[in-house]
Amino acid sequence: MSIGEAAAALRARQVSAVELTEAAIGRIDRLNERLKAFITVTAEYARHRARQADEELAAGRDRGPLHGIPMAVKDLFDMQGVRTTGGSRVFRGSVADRNSAVVERLETAGAVLLGKLNMHELAYGITSANPHFGAVSNPWNAAHSPGGSSGGSGAAVAANIVYAAMGSDTGGSIRIPAAFCGTVGLKPTYGRVSRYGSLPLGYTLDHMGPLTRSVRDAALVLNAIAGFDERDPASSRRPVVDYVPDEGCSLRGVRIGFPENFYFDCLDLDVESAVRGAIARAESLGAEIKQVKVPDIAALNAVARVILLCEASAVYDPYLSDRSQFGPDVLALLDQGRLVPAVDYINAQRLRRQLVAQFAKLWQSVDCLLCPTTPNTAPRIGDTKVRLGGRDEDVRLATTRLVRGINLLGFPALSIPCGLSTTGLPIGLQIVGPAFEEALVLRVGASLEDGGVGISPWIEP
Amino acid sequence: MKNWKAIVEASGLDLPARDVDRIIQPLEALEAAFRPLVRNLSPDVEPAFRLQLEDPE
Repeated sequence: MSIGEAAAALRARQVSAVELTEAAIGRIDRLNERLKAFITVTAEYARHRARQADEELAAGRDRGPLHGIPMAVKDLFDMQGVRTTGGSRVFRGSVADRNSAVVERLETAGAVLLGKLNMHELAYGITSANPHFGAVSNPWNAAHSPGGSSGGSGAAVAANIVYAAMGSDTGGSIRIPAAFCGTVGLKPTYGRVSRYGSLPLGYTLDHMGPLTRSVRDAALVLNAIAGFDERDPASSRRPVVDYVPDEGCSLRGVRIGFPENFYFDCLDLDVESAVRGAIARAESLGAEIKQVKVPDIAALNAVARVILLCEASAVYDPYLSDRSQFGPDVLALLDQGRLVPAVDYINAQRLRRQLVAQFAKLWQSVDCLLCPTTPNTAPRIGDTKVRLGGRDEDVRLATTRLVRGINLLGFPALSIPCGLSTTGLPIGLQIVGPAFEEALVLRVGASLEDGGVGISPWIEP
Repeated sequence: MKNWKAIVEASGLDLPARDVDRIIQPLEALEAAFRPLVRNLSPDVEPAFRLQLEDPE
């Protein structure tokens, strides 16, 4: 059931928010030991909020489509009175004395928050094999990673525990778990959703966004969380719009860019086939497909990595005196960042300006790009290498290869499921658009979804 | 190739030798990808410390 369907059922008194919430708690009780999707479950608080939601609806106070809908947030968003661990031992006892902007806005919209979701330690990685809170499993195959860093968010949505979950994306951390778990994942434009009250990783690269079961659900969540927030120095004053695509929206007149370079190099064959199939479907649905040469994505990735290494190490340097608090992969990245000179960081930010300008020119000829979200499907938990195009590649660098650069540019990007591999693992299609064109990106996603691009939902064995 | 062990020591970082060994290869790989890009920068290019995707009000 989608958020829209649950919202309709709530208003028709076919179901109550308390019943939706109890169902979600039941699924946590059944599935969380295996999935390790939640770090903290706020069941009693959720029951209280659900009762409130029902009382409000009965009294005629309707907060909108998220009213009474069970959701959860990655454990880097502050929820007042609940610990925010960031998936790290460093913050394991850190109880928030405020709500993050995202939690504040979701609660204002009536969402019922069931707790804090597991993640890659400090959001600094893509496996969500968390050494402190357990390795999150992929619902589609428990031996495989759900991706990350918002791995608990992907697993909880895919396993139908919650209708939507919030994640963060610094180098692909919403889109990767969305692709690996077969959910929708939206990274909005930098500055569109407030970062206030969320644990930072890369100040100029961090984006907050939803993982959901459908494109329209992602738009409903974006409607609730988007908008200016003076507490976030990077928050945009640009007015928000209604992001929900119309029923029956179409791809007619949309110029879709099909990258002829980089994005289709060294892909898993199942991924390539599914994504090419989705692009062909877009054409049959009326889109104009144009082959385009995209700017140097390898350069984007290198520049983004220099910036992230420096920014993340700047954030966590004060905590590195006790190295035993960090997992080995995160520690290695934090150590690397301490060795990159300031000159390189500044030059990376200069290159970023050039690359943003180069990429912005692309939007003169096309409205958006379609490409794979990841070159691979979910790796097995513990895998450090993945074989693509006949060569072994570091699993983190391979998995972030097609998503990381978009964080440098700040553009909105959506991942939607577009097929299953021969081994039964989901494949993600990425839709990238110009800055603040979330409505267009969501319209393209919804049109493809309506046109049959997608997968059947995961069914509990 | 940079002498990363010397850089670690000169930076005053007290890293175990095993941890230093672990980061040399990824740092070298990033150096190889990043350094050629910097050579093409002209002095007029300013850093984008904050993305300016819209005009300020």
